[in-house]
Amino acid sequence: MTIANSSRSRKAKVQLFILRVLAYLFIGILVAMCLFFFIMLLLMSSKSNSQLQGAFSLKWGGHFLENLHNAWNDASTNIPRGMVNSFIVAMSSALITTYFSALTAYGIHVYEFRFKRAIFTFIMAIMMIPSQVSAVGFIQLAYKFGLTNKLWLLILPGMAAPVVFFYMKQYLESVLPLEMVEAARIDGSSEFRIFNEVVLPIMKPAVAVQMIFSFVSSWNNYFMPSLLLTKPEKRTVPIMIAMLRSADYSKFDMGKVFMFILLAILPVMLVYAVLSKSIIKGVTSGSVKG
Amino acid sequence: MSEVKLVNIKKVYPVIERNKNKKNVNGHRTGNLQITDQGVVAVQEFSLDIADKEFIVLVGPSGCGKSTTLRMVAGLEEITSGELYIDGEYMNDVAPKDRDIAMVFQNYALYPHMTVYQNMAYSLKIQKASREEIDRKVREAAEILDITDYLDRKPKELSGGQRQRVAIGRAIVRHPKALLMDEPLSNLDAKLRNQMRAEIIKLRERINTTFIYVTHDQTEAMTLGDRIVVMKDGYIQQIATPQEVFDHPSNLFVAGFIGTPQMNFFDAELKLRDGDYWVDVEGASVRLADEKQERLKANHVEEQAVTLGVRPEHLLLADKGIAGRVTVSELMGSSRHLHLTVDGKDVIIIVPSTGGTGNYIGSDVALGFDGSNAHVFSKATEKNLEY
Repeated sequence: MTIANSSRSRKAKVQLFILRVLAYLFIGILVAMCLFFFIMLLLMSSKSNSQLQGAFSLKWGGHFLENLHNAWNDASTNIPRGMVNSFIVAMSSALITTYFSALTAYGIHVYEFRFKRAIFTFIMAIMMIPSQVSAVGFIQLAYKFGLTNKLWLLILPGMAAPVVFFYMKQYLESVLPLEMVEAARIDGSSEFRIFNEVVLPIMKPAVAVQMIFSFVSSWNNYFMPSLLLTKPEKRTVPIMIAMLRSADYSKFDMGKVFMFILLAILPVMLVYAVLSKSIIKGVTSGSVKG
Repeated sequence: MSEVKLVNIKKVYPVIERNKNKKNVNGHRTGNLQITDQGVVAVQEFSLDIADKEFIVLVGPSGCGKSTTLRMVAGLEEITSGELYIDGEYMNDVAPKDRDIAMVFQNYALYPHMTVYQNMAYSLKIQKASREEIDRKVREAAEILDITDYLDRKPKELSGGQRQRVAIGRAIVRHPKALLMDEPLSNLDAKLRNQMRAEIIKLRERINTTFIYVTHDQTEAMTLGDRIVVMKDGYIQQIATPQEVFDHPSNLFVAGFIGTPQMNFFDAELKLRDGDYWVDVEGASVRLADEKQERLKANHVEEQAVTLGVRPEHLLLADKGIAGRVTVSELMGSSRHLHLTVDGKDVIIIVPSTGGTGNYIGSDVALGFDGSNAHVFSKATEKNLEY
């Protein structure tokens, strides 16, 4: 009896071990696939132009700092300026997008007013219009008013973000009892103050996750900036990277090019690395009441 | 001084066409509520004078309009028609924050990101009170409610009872003119509810303000209120002291709603014999008490078929009287509840538990009652004929 039991449990243990090995193998492959491009980029950015022109190798090139120095001080592609511009646009639009989307969601969630449903449906309908379609009119308007090369023109339209609004509204529905708003009203708070001091802190996880998403998408945005920013000192990082493509590869220092790309994705990687916990928390927190 | 006066208050929730067939409109059951062209009438003809420092309890079943009334006093619901005065000032269109009232909600509604101290200090902070004043008042209120030890904790780290204390603390910290409570004990378990009920009685002695308290629990209504307002389907049924409501319910609904187990009702005849009122029921005949005689005479009540109400504790086992058969016997400890069938109807009586097995089931008994404990209601209007 006991012998049969122990052999059975040993068999189960072996099975579990094999399953675990398979699972780790699978995860390992996925991780390798994801990391491959980053590792390649890192390796390439450490090589000199001549090393890159030569045979492909997986060795560390040893010219990393040199490439960094060259890229940072490049006269034609002013990457520090581009990063500052990108940061201004991405940070401001992330702040504006999340704040005003939360405000709109709060308004729709808490107040009863005429045409509320119609307004909600209208906002949702906007989600279906691709930005490229509305861009045509927007660009024309910007040119006619002479508003090109203004960074705030890239920031302000972020205020109307139906997707973020929808996320915020769903989140509010799951976390905000209306009694809390009423309690604050009776406590003497003004409506705007209730939003800022009571509601916004409760929405912190949702705000955090949407800030990250809008920061990243704004940082990576190429379409609108490329149409609106023409002056070199106003360019954002994605425009600068795109312009490298038109450079003459035979004359250009490719080590520098890889360094540009590395610098361009660095802030995004940092944001994800530092805030990944709150992303996970934010994505799941709206779903379960607790 | 903080008197609250409600004059002919009415609340109508506009019905959106689409919702007409639904059971809920704005979260209020529309079961027996009147639906007019304007919408669902949640409260109507509500007039009440609340004296300074009085404890008023609004009680009634779900959807009777008690919470709506309270919310209108708080300013959280618009008053459709009628007038509301607090301290003689017309308040219909005044914002909640300018009414100088405080409210305790059923689900506490504490701010989850603030500590207990910050929760309690919030209203004072908005009033721009000095830091010393805030600190003094918060600690004073915390002392009264015995929550000083939790001041640095967040609401989620507290138990239900502690949270409710914080919610009360937040309300009393700025000494409001009136303290409104919307079923504050409903979320607590039975034992804690009893305890908190006693605490509210003690609290009242210490803070001495006007209370308006909403509950569906008649025990809370009876034990807490100076006066009870019994409501049903948006109408006031009776406004009186707990004793008065218990002893002289104004109609069948109040008689049935207040008191556990519920009052027993019999079909009976009200008779005049030698100038005295008698009730004849199931072969028994009982002369009403002198006090009731006077009230009925003053109303010139005629002989008629009536509904007779007698509370279970006032029905006694007798040698002769209303005949019934015991079907269920429940031992409650100090007493025993006997369920009887009398002429096809269920009747409950309470008898002292004798300590024995009390094998009543299946036995035929006769019931008697005293004329001072008989309530006679009109068959037509369901009103107590004494009124």
